[in-house]
Amino acid sequence: MKNVAIVACGLAPFGVRKATWRELVQEASKAVFDDVQNLDKKDIDSLFVGAAMPERFAFQSHVAPLVAEQVGIVPHKVVTRTELACSSGQSAVRTAWASIVTGLSDIALCLGVEKMNMPNMLETQTSMACVLEREWDGVQGASAPPFFAMCAQRHMHEYGTTVEQMAMVSEKNHHFSTTNPYAQFQKEIPAEKVLGSPMIAPPLRLFDCSGITDGAAAVILTSEERAKEFTDTPAYIIGSGQCSMASNLANYKSLSTWHPLKIAAKEAYRSAKIGPMDLDFAELHDCFTISEIIEYEDAGFCEKGEGGKFIEEGQSNIGGKMPVNTRGGLLGTGHPLGATGIGQIVEIMQQFRSTVPKERLVDGAEMAMSHNLSGAANVHSILVFGRSPR
Amino acid sequence: MTTIVLPYMLDFYPLQDEDNTRIHQFYASLREGKLMTTKCKDCGGLFWPPRVACPGCNSDQFEWVELPGEGELYAFTAMLLGAPMGMEKDVPFVLGMVQLDGTEFKVLSRIGNTKYEDCSLGMRVKLETYDLEDGRVWFRFVPITSD
Ligand SMILES: [Zn+2]
Repeated sequence: MKNVAIVACGLAPFGVRKATWRELVQEASKAVFDDVQNLDKKDIDSLFVGAAMPERFAFQSHVAPLVAEQVGIVPHKVVTRTELACSSGQSAVRTAWASIVTGLSDIALCLGVEKMNMPNMLETQTSMACVLEREWDGVQGASAPPFFAMCAQRHMHEYGTTVEQMAMVSEKNHHFSTTNPYAQFQKEIPAEKVLGSPMIAPPLRLFDCSGITDGAAAVILTSEERAKEFTDTPAYIIGSGQCSMASNLANYKSLSTWHPLKIAAKEAYRSAKIGPMDLDFAELHDCFTISEIIEYEDAGFCEKGEGGKFIEEGQSNIGGKMPVNTRGGLLGTGHPLGATGIGQIVEIMQQFRSTVPKERLVDGAEMAMSHNLSGAANVHSILVFGRSPR
Repeated sequence: MTTIVLPYMLDFYPLQDEDNTRIHQFYASLREGKLMTTKCKDCGGLFWPPRVACPGCNSDQFEWVELPGEGELYAFTAMLLGAPMGMEKDVPFVLGMVQLDGTEFKVLSRIGNTKYEDCSLGMRVKLETYDLEDGRVWFRFVPITSD
């Protein structure tokens, strides 16, 4: 199979932005084109826009042509939007990758964007409830925090995980985000402060939850053959896995074991011809603190039920067995749905280039993965990246 | 700012009558206090929520069967902050996944007549139906009391 590389990356600052959806698009576009050398925009033949809910957040559908015009390209092979809720950004990259693998596309721009802060936050909360199965689950008043709260309750019940361990995930990721000027949250949040923050959906408190965030991120992909024209340091896609299992919460096998993640991870490692611990670091989808703990386990970084211990022992910190979420994760960076998956990939590329601040550098990293879950953790998506092609 | 009042065009509740859905029988039964779903006549597959085409064997021949209106709490939490539009006045409310007796289904529901602090894993609950302001019907579960 043809090797595909990321050759450029760029971010719009994440946060509560005094900017519109289309302005965020332009910021990420400027950043990614500032990052790339020798690229004529005319040569971008494909565009993939990751956006979860522009219809609700920006009252705008048919967003791909809008983005194409904003960034100044005329894509003529593939132009589309990818929607997979919280994984919409990674979906753009996965789809671009597939298109380049087949030879249909030559150079693709992937741009992920979400504008979530609105004058009336009730609008945002209402939109978030339709990410679950709206007619049966959302209708009961469920949205992400209650769902992940129940995952935490089951994990605590079955494995003895504690709220203190969950708070440590928040502390770690907020610490990393203080090194990241593009992050929404710039302050240290010690575990005690997490445990003292307002309860949202017990046992989850405010700082167990990622923020409501505006942001955008972009990457440019091309084949291995052309990659070196545009950068000296491409990041190659060397593996992939994705799995969807159940939609209605009634049909879940478990809340404390995320079976679709286990399946996606197995396929990602198989296709990359590696084991989980061959990775040098990982970007995991820490939409809530409990998510990261379950992901340590079901991505294979530790035994089932030992995720709490993994954070407590510092194994997911730099110097531990598997540094996780060095850019600050969703907890520290914020979670603009469509931008998140691409923001993670930006971190991986910058780690490979050693251009991230020293405090969060995973020195000499050769391989990393980005993981997103979407909805009520019923879809898991993984891409594995290497500094060298497969 | 415009005030949005129920029912608005796009609200959370499903459209329930014959003109809008082929599973209107579900809602008619719910009005009688029964939680029904579809069972495939060809492969016997029992699915939640009700279907019009069988994801197991591709049949479209179903019979309505009643699900147990009782079960136990598999998990629960409470919505304290951030409820969606139309539900903000209900806060705080308890949400739980109810493992229906003798089935694989863990139906997500409001848990009424109780507080988060008074709930426990495995707590017995039963179905309760109620009318929405606009005439549609919906359901929740409530604790089974021993009196
Ligand atoms: Zn069947």
